[in-house]
Amino acid sequence: MDRPAAPSQDWNAVSTTLLRYLRARGARPDLADDVAQETLARLIALSQTRQIGSLFALAFRIADNLIVDAGRREKRQFGEVDEEWESDDPSLDRVLDSRRALDVLSRCLRAMPPLRREVLIRRRLNQESCRAIGEDLSMSAKAVEKHITRGLLDLRAALERAGVSVMGIGE
Amino acid sequence: MNAQAQEFDAIDREAAAWVDRMNRPLHDAEVAAEFDRWIMADPRHVESYARFQALWQSGGLRHGLEVAQADPEGFALAGEGEAPDWEVPNRARQAWKQFAGFAAVALCLVGLASLGARALVSETSYAAARGAARDVLLADGSKVRMSGGTQMNVRITPWSREVSLQNGEAFFDVAHENLRTFTVNTGTSRVTVLGTAFDIDMVDRETRVVRVYRGLVSVDAGAGRQWRLPAGNGIEVGGGRVRSLGEVRGDHPGWIDGWFDADDTSVQQLVQRLNRGSRLPVVLDDPALGSLPVTGRFQTSDPEMVLEALAAIHDLQWRKETSRYVLLR
Repeated sequence: MDRPAAPSQDWNAVSTTLLRYLRARGARPDLADDVAQETLARLIALSQTRQIGSLFALAFRIADNLIVDAGRREKRQFGEVDEEWESDDPSLDRVLDSRRALDVLSRCLRAMPPLRREVLIRRRLNQESCRAIGEDLSMSAKAVEKHITRGLLDLRAALERAGVSVMGIGE
Repeated sequence: MNAQAQEFDAIDREAAAWVDRMNRPLHDAEVAAEFDRWIMADPRHVESYARFQALWQSGGLRHGLEVAQADPEGFALAGEGEAPDWEVPNRARQAWKQFAGFAAVALCLVGLASLGARALVSETSYAAARGAARDVLLADGSKVRMSGGTQMNVRITPWSREVSLQNGEAFFDVAHENLRTFTVNTGTSRVTVLGTAFDIDMVDRETRVVRVYRGLVSVDAGAGRQWRLPAGNGIEVGGGRVRSLGEVRGDHPGWIDGWFDADDTSVQQLVQRLNRGSRLPVVLDDPALGSLPVTGRFQTSDPEMVLEALAAIHDLQWRKETSRYVLLR
C-alpha cells in the first residue's frame, strides 16, 4: 500500500472499489460496469509509465468524467431521458436534482450560518480556492475546509431528515 | 440549531472532509497516499465518499447555492431553522439558471504531469489558413469556428479545459460541464465559462472584443478588472480602455456568414477582419486612415464591396494591384 502505483498493485481490489464508488454515486449498473472497466484500463496503462499520486483520486476523477461523457452521448442519441426509465431506476443524481431535493437543500442553506453559506457559494459555484476564500473572509484555509465539510454534513443530514434518501439507491 | 449538533457518523465526517480536498487538481504526495489508504481500509469509506461526491456535484446543490447567491437579503432576513413554507423563488431560479455557466475565478491549475497523468491530458494545436475558416470539434464536445488566420492551442485535462488563442478570432460553442471550467486565454485577458457560446476577436496586441450569444461569461483583464457578460452583450477591452458594445443579436457572430457589424469601429479593425477572409490583403496607404470610425453592416466576404462602401463613407479611393488592395485618400 506504500506505493500505490507499483506494478504489484492489486487491480482486482481497485476494480471492486471503483465499482462500489460508481454504484454509490448513483450510476446505473450497466453504465457502472462499463465505466469501471474503461477507467481501470486507463489506470493500468498510466501506472506502467508514470508515478501516480493518488490512484483513487485519479480513478474517481476519470470515472466522473466518463459518466459525464456517457450522459452527453445518451442525450445526443435519445434526446431527453424518457420518463419510464427515470421512474424505474432513479439514479442518485436524478434524485438530487429533483425539485424536492432542491427545496430541502435550499432550506438547509438558508438555516446555515451565513459565513458557511458564503464559503460554499464561493467554493462550489465560483470555484475559488480555499486560500482565496480564507483571505477574503479573514480566516485560515483550514477553517474554510471545515466550513465545507460541515456544510456537506448539514446538507446530507437535511436530505435524510426529509426522507430524500441518498443512501443505497438502486441497491 | 442545537439539534444540528447531532452525531455524524465518523466515516461520513471523514468522507465529507476528503471530498473537497480530492477535487483539487494537485495533491500533496503524503495526502494522496493517505487518501488511498483510507479508501482501501474499509468498503464503507468509498461508499460514503461517493455519496458526498454526488451531493457536491449535484445540480440540486448548485441550484440551491445559486438561489442563495441571487437573494442574499432573503437569506439574511430568515430566522434560524424555521420557515416551513419557504419556497424556492421561481423567478430568481430561472434568472440564475442562465448564470449557471459562470465561474468567477479560474482554477489554479498546475501541470498534471506531476500526477503522472500525461496520457489523460490532450494538447492540440489548430491553425486556420488565411482566407478560410475552420471548424474544430474538441475532445469535450465543444465546437469552435476559427476565422481565417486564427491559431490556438487546446489543452484538456480531467480537471480543466483551456484554450490559448494566439491571434485572430474564434466563436466558441462550449459543451456544458458541471465542474470543468472552459477558459480562453488571450494573453491580456481571459474568458472563463462552464458552458456557453461566445466570440473572441483579438483585434490588435492588446484589444479584445468579446461577444456573448448564450449563457454568461466572465472576462478577466487582470489587475482586478473583471466583468460578467450575459448573453446579448459585448465588450471591447484594451489599452486601459473598456467599451460596452451595442446589442449582440442572433446565436452566432455575423462573420460566420460573411458579415461584420461595425459599431463605431475603426477602419483598421474592419480591414483586419476583411483580411482574415480575403485572398488579397487590404493595405492602408496612410496608417492614419486606420483610425477613421465606421458604423454599419459590411459584407466581408466581398472585399471590393466593402472598399467601395468605405470609399463612399469617408471620401476615399481604392485600387486593386496584383497582390493586394490599397485604400488611399
